[in-house]
Amino acid sequence: MSAVSEGIERARRGVGAGGSGRTTPRRRRRPTGGGLTLLLFALPSLILLLLINLYPLVYAAMQSVRSGNLINLGPFVGLANYRNVLTDPDFWHSALFTLIFTVTGVFGSWAVGLALAMLLRGKVPAGGVFKVLLLLPWVVPVVVSATSWNWLVATPQSPLPEFFSLLGFDNVLFLSDPTLAKIVVCVFKVWISFPFMMMMMSSALTAVDVNVYEAAKVDGATGWQSFRSITMPLISRSTYISWILMTIFCVNDFPTIYLLTGGGPTNATTSLVVLAYRTVFQDFQTGPGVAIAFLMTAVLVIVSVVLYRQIAKVNIE
Amino acid sequence: MTDTSMRTGLQQGVSAQSPTAAPTRRRRPLDERGKWWRFVVVLIVTIIAIVPIVSVLYLSLQPGLGSSATGLTLENFGLVFSQTQISYWLENSLLVTLVTVVISVAVAAPAGYVLSRVRSRLVSSYSLVLFVVQSLPVVTAVIPLFILFSGLGLVDNLGGVIIVYVGSTLSVATWMLAAYYDSIPISLEEAAWMDGLSVFGSFLRVVLRNSLPGILSTAIFSFLLSWNDYLVAVVFLRSDVNYTLPVGLETFFQQNATNWGLVMAVAVIMMLPPVILFAALNKYFSVGGIGGALAGR
Repeated sequence: MSAVSEGIERARRGVGAGGSGRTTPRRRRRPTGGGLTLLLFALPSLILLLLINLYPLVYAAMQSVRSGNLINLGPFVGLANYRNVLTDPDFWHSALFTLIFTVTGVFGSWAVGLALAMLLRGKVPAGGVFKVLLLLPWVVPVVVSATSWNWLVATPQSPLPEFFSLLGFDNVLFLSDPTLAKIVVCVFKVWISFPFMMMMMSSALTAVDVNVYEAAKVDGATGWQSFRSITMPLISRSTYISWILMTIFCVNDFPTIYLLTGGGPTNATTSLVVLAYRTVFQDFQTGPGVAIAFLMTAVLVIVSVVLYRQIAKVNIE
Repeated sequence: MTDTSMRTGLQQGVSAQSPTAAPTRRRRPLDERGKWWRFVVVLIVTIIAIVPIVSVLYLSLQPGLGSSATGLTLENFGLVFSQTQISYWLENSLLVTLVTVVISVAVAAPAGYVLSRVRSRLVSSYSLVLFVVQSLPVVTAVIPLFILFSGLGLVDNLGGVIIVYVGSTLSVATWMLAAYYDSIPISLEEAAWMDGLSVFGSFLRVVLRNSLPGILSTAIFSFLLSWNDYLVAVVFLRSDVNYTLPVGLETFFQQNATNWGLVMAVAVIMMLPPVILFAALNKYFSVGGIGGALAGR
């Protein structure tokens, strides 16, 4: 063991740079049998991937072209499920809400997260305490926060409607009015997600040297200018990554919406995932339900790939 | 960076820009400036942000209807344990979460090593598959798995839920660990190989030994995912005594919507473990790694 740690120490000092008399080869040379070890390393993960991720994908693809239920695959119906889904106004209504939910979720949480990351970058009294407290909305289980938000906004006796009636708006029913319910759900999502963005952006900002700002200020740059031309380019890669991840999180998000409004009032906050869930587990129509999920995923993958390409471009620059 | 070194750095920067500036004039470092207005803004945002969480805590301590207690009381917590199956839910949640964390780290740790150290077309496509899999909605996967698991007796069974959780944490866990390994210089391993260690030996003794923060990050991530999940649990767990806390809380909430004290007591019990874990291990957790891993290959 001591030989190993000695070796590590030597490597830390810069791979046997003189001294010991032994010349260390610069090229990596893996011990014999290493290839087999690496294969065994990847194997458990591959098996799980096949069983839990790829098998359901193939099975679901089959379900989407058949008219079956939760137990049987049912007869082959071709693309009828897709056609029915695409001509259903409920689908387009949910697609629109998914878009609104995703766009506000991604950019809302990014803006709040970035702003907080920048505020907390310098010295702020009790900064460490704030960093932990601000993570809470993301750490606390959604079931808990949905329950709490229900208490805060749902009934006329809830604190937020009470507060609004003090301002002269009586009987504001946040989850019964379609427009207000949409807004509440989107705000809820931003509230849950901004800590994640804050963490992503904080780690991106640590790479930015504060002295650059000082130099820019001496050159007469305004705060906004240095943000645009110093901060943004340096964090653009992390920004694109965070947008990709948050887009995936938002489009696939079931509990945030389902636990707060159940998709209501009358479908106002039904996103595609909620619609797919209902079609399968409440109407027991697996074919159309899976078709909805597949159409949604197709769009999601396209959006992700476009953003992914954008990262590659940033990397080259 | 210490204050002094920062100040010298700044002075050099300034004098390089404007040689006429008096060299004795001390500028306050940038990160010191305006700290009080930033404090006020952050304070206000933080207070607004934690209102829903503080409300949960506050309501759970309120005496219920017909209670003789005045002021804040812990009686809701006692009532919850006698009136609900929460002891089962808590036990199930702990079991499911701990097993998921252990398995997902054990599977992702070696897989992440392959992703980090091997450059080949096969590995790149494996990485791409991980990415695509990650973007699939859980709803699609849940139905086929439900059918598969009902044949295997894994519906209404904690084992079935654990398998699904391990599968859904796998992509991100593998990326996170791969990103962490990327920061460990290969020369450390080469030195170990020179000393006669196998790949497996150097992985255990050199790579893993230096990866504690990466492993902790991954473990925290898996913990949060499985502790907080609602969708998988509500589909697969059918009977009261097999519920995990999220399903238990939601069911209890539907049945007792007006008895906020009891509902919130369950909520507090549910949010305490992740909050405590995060408060204690916060400094080890970094999501930056996810992004680096995603874009790096």
